[in-house]
Amino acid sequence: MYYIHTISSISNQDSFRNENVYASLREFDAENDVVAPDYKEFIPRNSLRRLSPILRMGLTCAMECKNVIGKDFDSIVVGTALGCLKDTEKFLNTFITSTSDFLSPTAFIQSTHNTIGGQISLGLNNHAYNMTHTQNNLSFEVSLIDAILCINDGKKNVLVGAAEEKIDFLELVQPNLISADYPLASGASFFAISGEQQNSKVAIQAVDTNFRSKNVEKEILAFLTKEKIDLKEIDLLLTSGTELNSTTFSNKNINYMNFTGLHFSTSAFATHIAHDFLNNNDAKFALVVNDLCKGNLGLTLLKKG
Amino acid sequence: MSDLKQTLKEQIIEQLNLEDLTPADIQDDAPLFGEGLGLDSIDALEFIVLLEQNYGIKIADPSEGKDIFQSVNSLAEYIEKNNKT
Amino acid sequence: MKIYITGYGLISAIGVGEKETLDALKNERSGIATGKKEETKAYKVGEIALSNEELKTKYKLRTDGSRTALLGMVAAKQAFEGHLISDEIKTGLISGTSVGGMDISEQEYRNYLNNENHNPENYKHHSSGVSSDQIAEELGINDFINTISTACSSAANALMMGARMIRSGMLDRVVVGGTDSLTSFTISGFKSLMIFDADWCKPFDNSRKGLNLGEGAGYIVLESEKSLAITKKQPVAQLTGWSNASDAFHQTASSPDGQGAQLSMLEALKVAGLKPTDIDYINAHGTATPNNDLSESQAIKSVFKEVIPPFSSTKAFTGHTLAASGGIEAVFAILAINNGLLYPNLNFSEVIEETQLTPQLSFEEGKTVKHVLSNSFGFGGNNSTVILSRVD
Repeated sequence: MYYIHTISSISNQDSFRNENVYASLREFDAENDVVAPDYKEFIPRNSLRRLSPILRMGLTCAMECKNVIGKDFDSIVVGTALGCLKDTEKFLNTFITSTSDFLSPTAFIQSTHNTIGGQISLGLNNHAYNMTHTQNNLSFEVSLIDAILCINDGKKNVLVGAAEEKIDFLELVQPNLISADYPLASGASFFAISGEQQNSKVAIQAVDTNFRSKNVEKEILAFLTKEKIDLKEIDLLLTSGTELNSTTFSNKNINYMNFTGLHFSTSAFATHIAHDFLNNNDAKFALVVNDLCKGNLGLTLLKKG
Repeated sequence: MSDLKQTLKEQIIEQLNLEDLTPADIQDDAPLFGEGLGLDSIDALEFIVLLEQNYGIKIADPSEGKDIFQSVNSLAEYIEKNNKT
Repeated sequence: MKIYITGYGLISAIGVGEKETLDALKNERSGIATGKKEETKAYKVGEIALSNEELKTKYKLRTDGSRTALLGMVAAKQAFEGHLISDEIKTGLISGTSVGGMDISEQEYRNYLNNENHNPENYKHHSSGVSSDQIAEELGINDFINTISTACSSAANALMMGARMIRSGMLDRVVVGGTDSLTSFTISGFKSLMIFDADWCKPFDNSRKGLNLGEGAGYIVLESEKSLAITKKQPVAQLTGWSNASDAFHQTASSPDGQGAQLSMLEALKVAGLKPTDIDYINAHGTATPNNDLSESQAIKSVFKEVIPPFSSTKAFTGHTLAASGGIEAVFAILAINNGLLYPNLNFSEVIEETQLTPQLSFEEGKTVKHVLSNSFGFGGNNSTVILSRVD
């Protein structure tokens, strides 16, 4: 078991420092970007001035996790599919339009995917393992797998999360990157997890990835069999809009995309919802089903107790 | 010279995203790096861009910047001497 | 549990595959020259002469993709060639890249800005994960696919992730490494950082000015004992040590004492169960930037104390291939172990004043090379070390 000790999310929902994100879910509001806290409370002014939205979100969530658990992380694992798009686009503009010998470097420096993890290590003055995974809609799931390996390797306090950032240009190209049809969104969710239960009530039991998914229903059932759980025991199914036979899958279920909007790492926020559902209800198991990109299936099983 | 310093401060604030500062917050002789404004080596590169864009001054070796970028005073002095625009 | 290496492949400016690569290393022939393309012609770069079409034809690639993906396919196919595909062996691909499909995206974005022939469909190659999907498809691997993007340490981190997944039993076999193509994006980026040497780079030299960029890909195949029992493959080396630590000093620069680098080397030695004196050769990160080489030299001195093994940077051969460098240099390590080689650090003339370290200066054969330590340090203070060892 991989116990969740705290979660911090910044999203379109009112999720930051909210003990029960599940209960306060409302339909995605395309008018809003993200409901963000005052970043100045978390990030020194001198650092903040350079940071794009994805870095602000990621660093703030990481800081909040650190503040809540009060211990240094001995592993930091970040997932992001498209990374720091705002700075990437900014630097594309800089070098394509410039005729100068001198180019402003800040956007380039902050365009690499591992800027999020790098900023977290700098912000927390943390010298530990620091990894960045980028694998389309499964960026969060492969990060979770790394986090689980860290715990199995003996690490005590692991920070794992995912962040994505929308830019206007994405509207133009989105159908070529991902076929799902929801309004574009930004968001970040970070989790402090460990192998020790302490005060934690909800744990990640297992994570599975499938890169040649053909029959999601069969694959869910096979996963649950492996985990020795009957489908009926799942109290909440959270799917990325997956079509499941309602007779077989008669469980309570929600399409989390209706609350997150569209980015590649929405399953991280779905895992936050699943946690809060279990934590605040008489329920034992929740399953996040992420097949946002057809063929690539991520399954994350959460358990209370 | 004092006009130049005022302009420079505005340009520094813009180039380095020092949104919370006004030109009045930057003293002419205060160190820009380290203890002063707390700028770092990335900002030093941004200064090089600033000098080229606004004053046509090319600094090819970043290590030359150390003395030039000490304070608004030293920057202004250098620009007065080398302004190509 | 031992992690065996049963295949390797590489492509860089000094050649494709083992034979061409060894020939260049032995004859001290650098692959770095004035660029031949519009975006590279103003620089000294480690460019691969073959065009995308030539890569596809010559290496019979069936899958389309960005240049990054195509280079990755060429190297990964060499590594995985002749390996048994079987349902019994859970096989994955973990690939490092920093640019992904940027070579295509930047061209398209240019069209967008110029308002001419903008074809959004071409961004389908953009995401780094997609380039790994394409390489995996070419290899016929689909049990697990993952991409690591930690700038210049990406491939080394892919090796580490692969080893850990095998050790945990999640995978039996995994192709690991990295790939990056030269793009205007990265060339302009390093230009903005003002860390190019307009001439040939001089790693660990007192008068070093900066780096030359390169492109390429390098992959190795890791197998568990269980997998070996089925494939009957003969291991060529072992991956014995790995580590990743964070410098947490600066967004791009390394700390003066190389704290992250020290942590990374010490931890990798610990994982391998080796003492510093067991290391026979260090393939340094050695980008030839003033900052990296000083910081890395200090870290090497702290870790290895009085007895510093022969060390060199091979970046003066290949250029800095960014996310691919840890993969290419892992293959160099395997070749060193199996052929008893030490590689020369080209373009060196004078020791760095502060550290006084002289790298390996000539190509040497017939040495006993049992353990090679290979460093890869990236932006954001991401420091990684892997140790490759002889099969006993």
